[in-house]
Amino acid sequence: MSEKDDRDLQETGPDKKGIDRRDILQGMATLPVLGLFGYAVHKQVSYENATVAKTLGTGQASNLREVNVALLGAGAQGQVLLDAMLKCPNVRFKAVCDIWTDYNLKKVVNILKKYNFNVNGYEDYREMLDKEKDIEAVVIATPDFWHSQHAVDCLKAGKHVYCEKEMSNTLEGAKKMVLAQREAGKLLQIGHQRRSNPRYKYCYNKLIKEAKLLGRIVTINGQWNRAVQPDLGYPKRYEIPADKLKKYGFKSMEQFRNWRWYKGLGGGPIVDLGSHQIDIYGWFLDARPVALVASGGNDYYPAETREWYDTAMVVYEYETPEGRARGYYQTQTTNSSLGYFERFMGDQGTLVISESDANYANAIYREVTAPAWDEWVQKGYVTAPKVAEVKEQKAVLDVRESVSPDEHKIPVEFADLYHRPHLMNFFNSVRGLEKLNCPAEIGYETAVTVLKVNEAIEAGQRLEFRPDEFEIS
Amino acid sequence: MVQERYTHLQMIALVVMRVLIGWHFLYEGVAKMLKKDWSAAGYLKAAKGPMAGMFHSMANNPDVLDWVNFMNMWGLTLIGAALILGLLTRYAAIGGAFMVLLYYFANPPFIGYFSSQATEGSYLLVNKNLVEIGALFVIAVTYSGRYIGLDRIFYGLFHRRRRTVEERELTGATV
Repeated sequence: MSEKDDRDLQETGPDKKGIDRRDILQGMATLPVLGLFGYAVHKQVSYENATVAKTLGTGQASNLREVNVALLGAGAQGQVLLDAMLKCPNVRFKAVCDIWTDYNLKKVVNILKKYNFNVNGYEDYREMLDKEKDIEAVVIATPDFWHSQHAVDCLKAGKHVYCEKEMSNTLEGAKKMVLAQREAGKLLQIGHQRRSNPRYKYCYNKLIKEAKLLGRIVTINGQWNRAVQPDLGYPKRYEIPADKLKKYGFKSMEQFRNWRWYKGLGGGPIVDLGSHQIDIYGWFLDARPVALVASGGNDYYPAETREWYDTAMVVYEYETPEGRARGYYQTQTTNSSLGYFERFMGDQGTLVISESDANYANAIYREVTAPAWDEWVQKGYVTAPKVAEVKEQKAVLDVRESVSPDEHKIPVEFADLYHRPHLMNFFNSVRGLEKLNCPAEIGYETAVTVLKVNEAIEAGQRLEFRPDEFEIS
Repeated sequence: MVQERYTHLQMIALVVMRVLIGWHFLYEGVAKMLKKDWSAAGYLKAAKGPMAGMFHSMANNPDVLDWVNFMNMWGLTLIGAALILGLLTRYAAIGGAFMVLLYYFANPPFIGYFSSQATEGSYLLVNKNLVEIGALFVIAVTYSGRYIGLDRIFYGLFHRRRRTVEERELTGATV
């Protein structure tokens, strides 16, 4: 404070230094406010914790057996899974492994410390498996081309494995995983997390199978449209030395960060994004595809840094118990219109479903010609219809046009982390309480189905699936 | 120039305003610390207006983002506590105003801009951030900390000053 300020504030009088009782009292008069603040924060935190425990059901879940877990791969996806796992009750983290030791590994170890898990960090997963004897399950979120070796070695070491999709970037790799799982007799869950999503399960079990609201599904379309994104960068001072990158199969730091786009490392957007949704096609249809045609290419990004196709469109043919069905799927990375969803179109209704809460999705529409759904509305299977507004018709409705169907919402709120139910299903299976929702065989079927798209684009022709392609003997 | 002096009531009003703003800052800071994975990235990425580019680049650079997160958490917390306690009041008020000014520009209610964040009111040029900046300005130029606040104690201890019986009341106030 300046002298002038002092002067402004002061009156004339003798110099005086020091404080008296009144100064102390008035000086500390607002101190109790901090106490009140502390009390209010404490109350608020207790309230929030109670709410979280209630929604997650962790309050009652405390009798679940504790499972010792290691995370193998602590990058972006590993951290998504970590967030979800931290909300799974009675999961005890023991170790984390990542080759980016100065960045991702350090970051995740520190996050876990905040949650009172004193985990050991490893660069080499073999060392982790050797030293951490009490790990029961390993969650793998490494680049696709590492999945097979990581999963097989973990299974051989007697661990249960949750492995991110795509199961592997090659079918040989995926096959080895299935065989290793059978041999070890351990669990192998593949990370197609929609398989455990309550909304998807509800639609399959209740709406499609039980109420048969769609009738016979004849066509499907689905998409994942994503906006233009630049290559992923990295903080220069955390660059991994070239020899270490090479040891782990990467040519450069750029490749390490953007492995999804490189042949031999990942599978491109059709595998990263499409795989989740194409998996649902087969699940909801109860069928495997018999053939496909596909078109795609490197239409937008420079092919040097994006080896895989930035745009892919595919039509599958399925033979379902009820007859033939066709499913269209597209993924493109240059425009995000309508995001991602799957649309199942039957002769009696349409189901539009998405993992996200997009307002155009998660509804079911009755064809005007289908029997009334009053019964299902009354039973609460679907909400009462939002009747399409009758617009003033300027022209007479063309006789060839159908009246737009009523919209019913699917009454399943899902406000959880996307991966949590699937991880919970895995941990509860480890505890012997549930069965896996996406065991290795299902992951393998989806890998066969999806990896063929890249093959068909390359071949430029219609390819057929042999029924035995989906089997592993 | 005649020095205007504040009445007790006026000083108390300033202290109340200071404590309220302090509480707001403190909880903004503490709430971020309590959320273990809190990051400013989402807020920065949603920035609009003439300075949006700067905020976006902050969000995209991990090193800068770490620093921004740290400064936000601790800045808000310490400034909040200082305002409540009346400690280094003036610096706390100026620092606080600067922080809120950044928030203001991250999402300015300028003419023709649509807010990128869901807002609960209608704002044109002036929003609650700007009002809080104005209030912090008032706190920065008045001496409420020397009336009620730790500054009063430190000021008494470390500043040689002339004090009279009348003046004691003035450290803020006359009856």
